[in-house]
Amino acid sequence: MIGALVVVVFVALAALAVYGIVITALNRPPDAWTKRAVGAVVALLVVQAAIAAVRVFGGVTLPETTTFLIYLVVSICVLPIATQFAAAEPTRWGGAVVAVGAIATAVAVWRLQGLWAAAGV
Amino acid sequence: MSEAARATSSGPGRVLIAVYGVFALSATARAGVQIATRFGEAPVAYLLSALAGVVYILATIGLAGHSPAARRLGWAAVLFELIGVLTIGTITVFDTGDFPDDTVWSVYGRGYGFVPLVLPLVGLWWLRHTRAR
Repeated sequence: MIGALVVVVFVALAALAVYGIVITALNRPPDAWTKRAVGAVVALLVVQAAIAAVRVFGGVTLPETTTFLIYLVVSICVLPIATQFAAAEPTRWGGAVVAVGAIATAVAVWRLQGLWAAAGV
Repeated sequence: MSEAARATSSGPGRVLIAVYGVFALSATARAGVQIATRFGEAPVAYLLSALAGVVYILATIGLAGHSPAARRLGWAAVLFELIGVLTIGTITVFDTGDFPDDTVWSVYGRGYGFVPLVLPLVGLWWLRHTRAR
């Protein structure tokens, strides 16, 4: 994990959640821009997960490695699944589904950051 | 005029299912890790976490389905969830001794922003709102 990247990821997830809530409020279904935004955020999450995984397998010892790795997988998987589910029925509620996915992912990243900080690296 | 039941998986129901899905995943994964790595420390709490995870999975399946059987499963799972969060919540408020470690329902779901307390109420309202009448 890299401190600066975690901040960028949090800002991106918050922006995505707000975007989802706004398109629900405006009564618009998720569109191509929603998918692009999700794609960009997931790309950031993949970079973060790759760096973290390399460092964990490269010898950084964490208090709960298994939990950390599960959160790492969850942080990548939740948004694509939520977006798929949101796009399957194109109503205003798709945006709110994406927002739920973004918030859940933010919680996972927050837990990741907590576990990483506990290791003191 | 009688009106057929509406799908619980449509419209705002999809947001509800998304939240249930997140809780199904997080509660089950958390219980799995706890049971696999340190079951002896707090077996009652970890088994309750696993039970909560299963209930969230069943509620997600029930709400996402379209059949009358899925609706019955949804009712049963969400009612069980409400009873569970109220029971475990009340026990943990008055006596923490039996629960050395947190479950998703401890202190009415405080560790999860009290979402576990609100979720079954919204779920029951949604099942009632979409029922045949």
